Amino acid sequence: MPFHFANVLVFAAIAILFVLGSLVGGHFLRPHNPTAEKEMIYECGEKPIGQAWYNFNPRFYLIALVFVIFEVEIAFMYPVASVYRSFIEKGQGMLAFLEIFVFVAILAVGLAYVWAMGDLEWVKGLKQDVLKAAREAREQPRKAA
Amino acid sequence: MDNLASLRFFLPESILTVAVLAMFVQDLLTRRSARRVVYLTAGALVWLAIVAFATLQMPAGTASLFGGLLQHDPLRMFFTWVFLGATLLTIVIAPNSGQISPNRLGEFFALLFALVLGMYLMASASDLLTIYLSIETVSLVSYVLTGFRRGDRKSNEAALKYVIYGGVASGVMLYGMSLLYGLFATTRILGEAGIAAQLSDVTSRIFLAHAFGGQPAAQLALIVAIVFVLAGVGYKIASVPFHMWCPDVYEGAPTPFTAFLSVGPKAAGFAVAIRFFFATFERQLPDGAFAQVGDVPWPAIIGIISAATMTLGNLTALVQTNLKRMLAYSSIAHAGYLLMGLAAASAAGVQSILVYLVIYLFMNVGAFLVVIAVANARGGEQISDFRGLSVAAPVTALTLAVFLFSLTGLPPLAGFTGKYLVFAALVQRGGFWNVILAVIGVLNSAISLFYYAKIIKAMYLDEPLDRTPMRVPRLYTGLLVALAVPLLVFGVYWGPLVRWASTAFGGPTPI
Amino acid sequence: MSSIGLPHFLAVGAALFALGMVTVVTRRNAVGILMGVELILNAANVNFIAFNHFVEGPGRLTGQVFSIFVIVLAAAEAAIGLAIVLAIYQTFRTIDVEETDLLRE
Repeated sequence: MPFHFANVLVFAAIAILFVLGSLVGGHFLRPHNPTAEKEMIYECGEKPIGQAWYNFNPRFYLIALVFVIFEVEIAFMYPVASVYRSFIEKGQGMLAFLEIFVFVAILAVGLAYVWAMGDLEWVKGLKQDVLKAAREAREQPRKAA
Repeated sequence: MDNLASLRFFLPESILTVAVLAMFVQDLLTRRSARRVVYLTAGALVWLAIVAFATLQMPAGTASLFGGLLQHDPLRMFFTWVFLGATLLTIVIAPNSGQISPNRLGEFFALLFALVLGMYLMASASDLLTIYLSIETVSLVSYVLTGFRRGDRKSNEAALKYVIYGGVASGVMLYGMSLLYGLFATTRILGEAGIAAQLSDVTSRIFLAHAFGGQPAAQLALIVAIVFVLAGVGYKIASVPFHMWCPDVYEGAPTPFTAFLSVGPKAAGFAVAIRFFFATFERQLPDGAFAQVGDVPWPAIIGIISAATMTLGNLTALVQTNLKRMLAYSSIAHAGYLLMGLAAASAAGVQSILVYLVIYLFMNVGAFLVVIAVANARGGEQISDFRGLSVAAPVTALTLAVFLFSLTGLPPLAGFTGKYLVFAALVQRGGFWNVILAVIGVLNSAISLFYYAKIIKAMYLDEPLDRTPMRVPRLYTGLLVALAVPLLVFGVYWGPLVRWASTAFGGPTPI
Repeated sequence: MSSIGLPHFLAVGAALFALGMVTVVTRRNAVGILMGVELILNAANVNFIAFNHFVEGPGRLTGQVFSIFVIVLAAAEAAIGLAIVLAIYQTFRTIDVEETDLLRE
């Protein structure tokens, strides 16, 4: 299977054409009715212009962290799904199913724990012990000074 | 052996997985209970007992599990007992240490079991994939446990440093593994087509040389790969140049976990190193001696790292004022002593490592236990906080003196036994550089006396900080004595320990 | 050399590895450093996939399976790293690694 540089070139050209084509096509098809909000660059709901060093809402992080775990779970499910038929042919279909079930169950316990601890709540009271410890930690250097 | 048949040898690991989940569930169920600390500690101890029982039931002999991913052998069993000992001590120490909030004790135990699971896998990993996965399991859980004290600046900072150094070290190791995979077209270390078999087989080595443009190129690639893999292992055992995380993490982490970290993962790192180097680059001859295959000068690499590690650890420990931090540098130095046993590249060398690790478990956990007791009573971990401890808490001071003298390696304490066996293995192996390395080791032990003695001077000779008797929980006093007595015993009577080590690896040796 | 062979992939892998190392060493932002670590891991992944194709041969999947595990571990490491960075921010109010320096000799 020879793999020539020309393939890469064609691939790159198609990629560029795809982006350009959709932009140009969109320009002729869409109604033209700009507002200040719409003129802004789309940045997933965050303010796009100005310093990047402002506080993102940490809730995004917590949800994202939990999401990442379940996202990579899929990376394991696909290979299992692709060889599952050969397991059934060997008569070990149930075994393979149980194995992957145990895997998902372990993740589910983790999810249940996160849920029960209230880390998935969108509106939540900050945990008082954490707040207190953080406040004390911040005040320590001041006292020393 | 296929997957189903292997499960029988995988029982302790399976139970540990269940234990992790069970601790999380128990944590949720007992959240409202006033006696949750007692329930959780009891639960953790019960699970540990079940794991220990399952480990006890393991069949003797060797077996290759899961198609070569794991290896069951006496070496694995030896290490599992070291891990179980360290875990038992940590579970007993943690609830009273005042460093782990009762609200989060269940989480702590659950993560601790996950860590033990990773270490069990490290002790039996015989494939590059399982080595990488097990090391990462241990690392990831360690990051979390290091930063376990939320809102504590030192703890958070230590966790951040740990993550960064750990990420780089594991990345470098992974890159080395990818090169090894490219050289040998397999990730199995043992077995018919494994790396070890290919290295000792002449025809496949000629093929290798051809594939990589001549013998020198293949040889160079192999050595680079080995050095890179060593980065991951060296980081786990805190050897130069991957030791930078160690002092910060030891100081910042909750002390019960520091105690665990200094013995458990370090021992697991040595398990990986021993299995990797001896399975891959050494053949045991019928008379019990080891012969090198593959022309990789790994004992020389290890020897240089060992000398650098212990010298740097000891010299930096001299100027420390925080005892936890000093013990961290002392732990780096001890990684250096232990590496000497590996550099000897003989059965006696490995056995000396095994014996040393068991003794190290007792003396290091003991020393950290005293740090916890003093920090709780006097509110500090500085050496100045230990002034006049012999007046305020005579038993605690006496046991700390035992631990520190043992760490120095003074006879008749067990630390001497460990060091003696390591030096003897090196000298017995012979060769100019091995003897030089042993001499460096002896000089380093002499240096270490200075900083250990500094604490003993503070405890016994300095003006007491506080003459009123210091409050030490009775449990801790009992534990301290229980840890100190074996050190006195093993210092004069080490026969059983050495015999146990010789059944674990390489058979009887003349020492 | 008209066709792409193993050396090309190895060169990409080595370049990624070097870039990751440089990122880790030069960045002061903790999140930037974690990105550098990701680069190092992906450098190894490129090697694994390339070796799987060119050295181990068709029908064998060791390298590809290895890289899936690496992807998963990289995600786990990133999750833990970011969680720790978040905790650092809550206590230090900065994620500049040169300002988190309580622990010194």
